[in-house]
Amino acid sequence: MIGLVRAELLKIRRRQATLVLLVVALVLATVIFLATGAYWQISGLISFPQAYVFFQQSIFQVGGLIAIVFAAAYVGADWNWGVLRNVVARGEGRERYLLAKFIALTIVLALATLLMFAVCFLLVYVQGAIYNVPVASPLRADGLQDLVVWVVVGFPVLLQRAAIGFAVAAIFRSQLAGAVVGIVLFLVEAVVTTILTVLTFGSSIANGGLGDGLGNGPSIQTTGPEWFQFLPISIGGNVFGALPGAGGINSGDVSALLLRPVPFPIAMTAVVIYLIAAVGIALIALRRQEIA
Amino acid sequence: MTTEHTQAAAPLPPPVTVELAVATRGLVKSYGRHKALVGLDMSVPRGKVYGFLGPNGSGKTTALRLLTGLLRPNAGTIALFGVPYTWHDRKRLFRVGSLIETPSFYPYLSGSDNLRVLSAAGPPTDVSRIGQVLEYVGMGGRSKDPVQTYSLGMKQRLGIAAAMLSDPDLLLLDEPANGLDPGGMVAMRETLRYFTQDLGKTVVISSHLLHEVELLADVVGIIDRGRLLREGDLQQLLADAGRVKVRVALHEMSLAAEVLRRLAPDRPLYGVDSGEQAGWFTVGVTPNRATEINRALVEAGIYASGLEPGSDLESIFLELTGTGGSVHDRPGEVAPMGGPLPGTNAPSAPVQPPVQPGQDA
Repeated sequence: MIGLVRAELLKIRRRQATLVLLVVALVLATVIFLATGAYWQISGLISFPQAYVFFQQSIFQVGGLIAIVFAAAYVGADWNWGVLRNVVARGEGRERYLLAKFIALTIVLALATLLMFAVCFLLVYVQGAIYNVPVASPLRADGLQDLVVWVVVGFPVLLQRAAIGFAVAAIFRSQLAGAVVGIVLFLVEAVVTTILTVLTFGSSIANGGLGDGLGNGPSIQTTGPEWFQFLPISIGGNVFGALPGAGGINSGDVSALLLRPVPFPIAMTAVVIYLIAAVGIALIALRRQEIA
Repeated sequence: MTTEHTQAAAPLPPPVTVELAVATRGLVKSYGRHKALVGLDMSVPRGKVYGFLGPNGSGKTTALRLLTGLLRPNAGTIALFGVPYTWHDRKRLFRVGSLIETPSFYPYLSGSDNLRVLSAAGPPTDVSRIGQVLEYVGMGGRSKDPVQTYSLGMKQRLGIAAAMLSDPDLLLLDEPANGLDPGGMVAMRETLRYFTQDLGKTVVISSHLLHEVELLADVVGIIDRGRLLREGDLQQLLADAGRVKVRVALHEMSLAAEVLRRLAPDRPLYGVDSGEQAGWFTVGVTPNRATEINRALVEAGIYASGLEPGSDLESIFLELTGTGGSVHDRPGEVAPMGGPLPGTNAPSAPVQPPVQPGQDA
């Protein structure tokens, strides 16, 4: 298995698409940084540990989309280039092979996440310099703990999203299909969730469900969690909403803003279940497939 | 090989023993409504080169995919080296090297890196083997270049190297000569001969290049419409086929056809009426009846300008499969006549004479 994983890492390292997608991720992170800089200054989110929200936006939201594309392109290429035939005909176990690919994918995404964290740190300091705001130490007080929590909690969400692209490509036996379906799923789910959230939120208002009844005005997040908060992409947003510094907002998920978030343990469990299910489905798909 | 491997129409196949590197019995494979294999009984003896022949779409590649676990049979059995092999019995394939259809590699990796990543899969393979097989196939000089810069012939060589990577006991090669230049074909032939004769390994070659197979194979199996039509020792098949080639003047062909048809009424008669081979007939009689042919023609007032033994793999193939055009794809080969000769019982497909041994086709 180790030999297989090393071979997979060699394939990823030498592939131009790996570098291209990494550059795209870095460019998008920078664009987000530039586009949201003014808002961040107003919101006081430039300094640590609040700046971790920016990390979340860049690494786990945008990165999640790129991870889907990368995973789909990576695993689907074996069908597109016909190389899977060579491997299976040599007597390699289909499940072993695909599992080795997923392990390699996990390693590469972990390294990419660390790199993105480093770049995001740099961007926060640049942002602080531009707006002349002291960013404070990322390791001050509970900053280090927050950072660890963000990585430990955020990475499984990133991996879960990559696993969706991985599974779709394995089922459709195509890198293009995997990437397209993954992106569509990502975007369509975001749109559908937003619509359903607004409808649910509006319905709550109409039913007088807002306000605490003590004259303190209406409050938000008085309804939910709703079923659509458990959809494969949305559930990650609920996990991010529970992270320190996020405060249930700015998680990139409207449902987390307007609805009561899914409790963290449940959301995290759902993410892990999705992750295992996606990899399991990919393994079963390959096990049953006939290879042309 | 003995004559026990030479089969007429569907006799019982030989029993499955360890002496057979590959044995399929009643192998069936369908793609939806299309039946690619309808009961394939294939017996590949150990230590031989087995030529697996058939027209396009006859089921050759499907059979090889089934042997390598890429496809799942609908019915029937497969045994490798006498031991039953099933869909998920993957370790049985550790003794098998294969090149199925076109050679497939990661285009951005070099030839040697492709073999390196491949060696991590399947049977344990010493990394030093990579350099050896690249030298075998004459790719040592370009092994560091990306595969996307390779010609078709170079990819084919790399595919053969990949098949030999784990030093398998059985090589399954699907159209291995595709894209190879003449030097490459000779080198491949020598390599495969060394593989079988010196190392005692087994090779199955699926090919359209009948002349190439005739030079290389010890045993042949001819498949059409998913069923094995004939299988056996090549020399025995050629001897059993019994053919004589005779040449007459072009304007006497119709009359000659009538005469020749009477000599072998139950065998097809092939002839060609244009090109360099114009006037040649292939008659389905054994060479010891050549005098009889000559006499019959003379009695009809026809004088043959050529008379010689004429069995070759191509003529056997044509007779068994009833095809004409699909296998005659060698450049410079004689043009087909366009239909059977009047009064002959040749197949309805365009007919051609077999290519002369040694002819520059």
